[in-house]
Amino acid sequence: MASVSLHRLTKKFTGMAAVEDLQLEIGDGDFVSLLGPSGCGKTTTLRLIAGFPQPDAGEIRVGHEVVSSVSLMVPPERRAMSMIFQSYAVWPHMTVAQNVAYGLKFKKLSRQESDQKVTKLLQLVRLDALKDRYPAELSGGQQQRVALARALVVEPQILLMDEPLSNLDANLREEMRFEIRRLHEEFAITTVYVTHDQAEAMATSDRIAVLNKGRMIQVGRPAEIFDHPKTRFVAEFVGKANILAGHLDAGSSLALADGLKIQVSGDADAPTHGEAAVCLRPHNVVLTHQESEAQGLKDKGFNLFPGVVRRHIYFGDTIDYSVELSFQRMLRVIAPPSQRYDNGQQVYAAAHPDHCVLVKEA
Amino acid sequence: MPTAETIATAQVERRPWLKGWDPSLPVLIGTAFFLIVLMLLPLGAIFTASFWDQAGLTFSKYIEVFSNRAFLTAIWNTVIISSWVGLISVVIGGLLAWLITRTDLPWKKSIRALVMASFVTPPFLGAFAWTLLAGPNAGLLNQLYRALTGAESALFNIFTMQGLIFVMAIYSFPYVFSMIANVCELMSSDLEDAAGILGANKLQTAWTITLPLALPALVSGFIVAFLQSLSLFGAPAILGLPAGIHTITTQIWTFFQYPPRLDLAAAFSVPLLLATMLLIAAQKKILGRKGYSTVGGKGGQRRLVRLGRARIPVFLLVLFVLSLSVFLPYWILLKAALSKAWAVPLDWANFTLDNFRFAFFQYSDTQLAIFNTFKLGIITASVGTLIATLIAYITQRNLLRGARFLTFFALAPLVIPGIVLAVGLFIVYTQPPVVLYGTIWILFVAYLTKEMPIGFSQAQSTFKSIHPELEDASRIIGANRLVSLKDVTAPLARSGLIAAWCFIFIGVIRELSASILLFTAKSKVVSVVIFDLKEEGQIGVICVLGIALLLVTFAVILAAQWVVGREVFATRE
Repeated sequence: MASVSLHRLTKKFTGMAAVEDLQLEIGDGDFVSLLGPSGCGKTTTLRLIAGFPQPDAGEIRVGHEVVSSVSLMVPPERRAMSMIFQSYAVWPHMTVAQNVAYGLKFKKLSRQESDQKVTKLLQLVRLDALKDRYPAELSGGQQQRVALARALVVEPQILLMDEPLSNLDANLREEMRFEIRRLHEEFAITTVYVTHDQAEAMATSDRIAVLNKGRMIQVGRPAEIFDHPKTRFVAEFVGKANILAGHLDAGSSLALADGLKIQVSGDADAPTHGEAAVCLRPHNVVLTHQESEAQGLKDKGFNLFPGVVRRHIYFGDTIDYSVELSFQRMLRVIAPPSQRYDNGQQVYAAAHPDHCVLVKEA
Repeated sequence: MPTAETIATAQVERRPWLKGWDPSLPVLIGTAFFLIVLMLLPLGAIFTASFWDQAGLTFSKYIEVFSNRAFLTAIWNTVIISSWVGLISVVIGGLLAWLITRTDLPWKKSIRALVMASFVTPPFLGAFAWTLLAGPNAGLLNQLYRALTGAESALFNIFTMQGLIFVMAIYSFPYVFSMIANVCELMSSDLEDAAGILGANKLQTAWTITLPLALPALVSGFIVAFLQSLSLFGAPAILGLPAGIHTITTQIWTFFQYPPRLDLAAAFSVPLLLATMLLIAAQKKILGRKGYSTVGGKGGQRRLVRLGRARIPVFLLVLFVLSLSVFLPYWILLKAALSKAWAVPLDWANFTLDNFRFAFFQYSDTQLAIFNTFKLGIITASVGTLIATLIAYITQRNLLRGARFLTFFALAPLVIPGIVLAVGLFIVYTQPPVVLYGTIWILFVAYLTKEMPIGFSQAQSTFKSIHPELEDASRIIGANRLVSLKDVTAPLARSGLIAAWCFIFIGVIRELSASILLFTAKSKVVSVVIFDLKEEGQIGVICVLGIALLLVTFAVILAAQWVVGREVFATRE
């Protein structure tokens, strides 16, 4: 019963709402990321779950039991949770083994049992050779694994992670993403993971909750979030996005600035008429300079945008084009390296209506 | 049959009571309350005594004080003296700081140690040593001058306004030194290089970049030195009074001579208090200006300026300055302590250990004073560290509502000159319900109040350096607040708190300006005895006590450095 539910959670700091009316259900064994820019309230949410601050409104339940509300607080040490901190918070005055063993002090285990568990965890994170070192003698990545072992050894029902990889260098960060996902698949601990890095959230999570300005914007599986962003904020924060604004007729046809009409798609709760915008991912745009091919795409129902290549950057595995459309709007296109166009060349950009996803402004 | 839901609800109803009881809470609230009372009582007493008498509200005390020419002269003297002290301190302290941080001056570590030595030398002791060095008749430097030139007159007379300013300045400049040194260390050479690459020559760079960046520190250094000399009692009493020069502090002291005029002392204290507050506020404002925040940034690269041929002459000059505050005074103290007659050369005929025997074994006043000083030092340092630690922990971790105001109360004594504090405490504790006057406990309260800011700042910076997540990390895996304090916070804070203890201890054993109003025959302390013995002309015994005071001070500093394993008393290398 280690599901977590946040019900209308609000936390204010000096009058400013850091978290406002937050609603989130996290199932048993789920891995959920809280994703958002800095200051969006994701760390506050995590610390609320841990029981450090008391909410100003709403409540947090673990299973059926209320653990945080305006009138009661179960202290952090009685929540059967573990947390990995952004600073790692590895205690500098204890050795690696002492750090990992610390939480077992409160479990009433025999010395032998405790030693066994510590050894097992140290092997798991590949630190058994370094168990008598002090944290100052470890690299950042090793300290991070100490923090991980320390959090896992107490066999928590819920694991909280606060940007655990943000202090690592890029290569190690990528490696640790997979490591964290692998550990999750092994232990299936309910996990809440805070990050501002969308790739990290994608790689690790079952579901992603996007936060902005203390409010929950969208919750869903990584693919849902990426392919069907509900708002312009989600579209732009998760991945690269072209946002095209226009006037929506009934019948999912969007009139752009110069009168160009494109077919769009949207969820059930998407706007149906009036001012609206669509998100078009750069890699969902096809480029061609041949009339015939363009015509063929049009026949298949693609939206066609005539334009001129203004700039291109060669990345090796892709080429990033900026195409100026007839209404002086730049469209970003990510194309495979086999498609070469020069600056100034006339092209058609084509996008399927399924990829032109209606988004709300806020 | 109860379902999971009903069990959960039952627990929910039982828990709030359980949760509401946090055993650390009464301790925290009690400490906060104690601090506030400690600070408010003396200040309240001063204001009350200066505005009220039997007849009720009155301004007569202020009128009496501020219409008297002699009293106004004392205020004017203080302003003149403090301004000069501030100015000289900025010049000496600023230059020394620049030389040590930004040039290839040799022996920097030793010079720093000497600056630190002048920092911890009680100014009243320095002033006393200088009466032996530059007294107009017997002063050794004047003897030397006469012997060398055959002149009849004296070269120096330390019992003058200039002499007083000189002595106060050589013991005030270390305050400026440490402030400027900090700024110089944070200022990266890149800032100057940036000007250089745009075409500025060295002088232009110094004028347009380096000086403006250092200016806030220079101004606030001036203010700190000014305040320091404003509140000093010992040096002006030793050097100024024989020449009939009164300052505010010595004037307050005379209000306590028979017949005591507490009301006038209080009325005279209020402007001093207000001036101090204003200056501190000004200093905060100058340092807090946003434009200078770059100085506080990352260190960056620092290149040392080569002094070239001037290296050795400059070094000798620095040594000369420090000999004024350290070598010469220490030497004369040692010489006089070992002499039968201090003014004649020290040879076997003149050598004696009698002064030591007398000070430590015969004279009951000094024995009692030494005992009292140590007792007060240890008790105040222990209680002070404990309270400062709790208050710093509350403010740093925001444990109580309105914790920020506690910072204000803990730092309040910074704006209360020692003698003003003593006036307030005297008024409070000579009358029921709590009569402490006549015991050492009134000194304890005075020291505890006076040393609170230093203990608090040290404890606060200690907790600041301990990331709160280190405590959170133990809470979340099963430790309650107290266990977490014991296992994580305490071991990490240990060395910082030992340093706080040492700071307070040193502050207590050298305290004079509050003690001078609060001691009685049974509650004398070393500094007061030194002051008393001067009246009796017991030069040798004073020197013995002074040396003992200095030795204990240095021993405590060394012990603290050893325990902490780093130079707690020096600024960063």
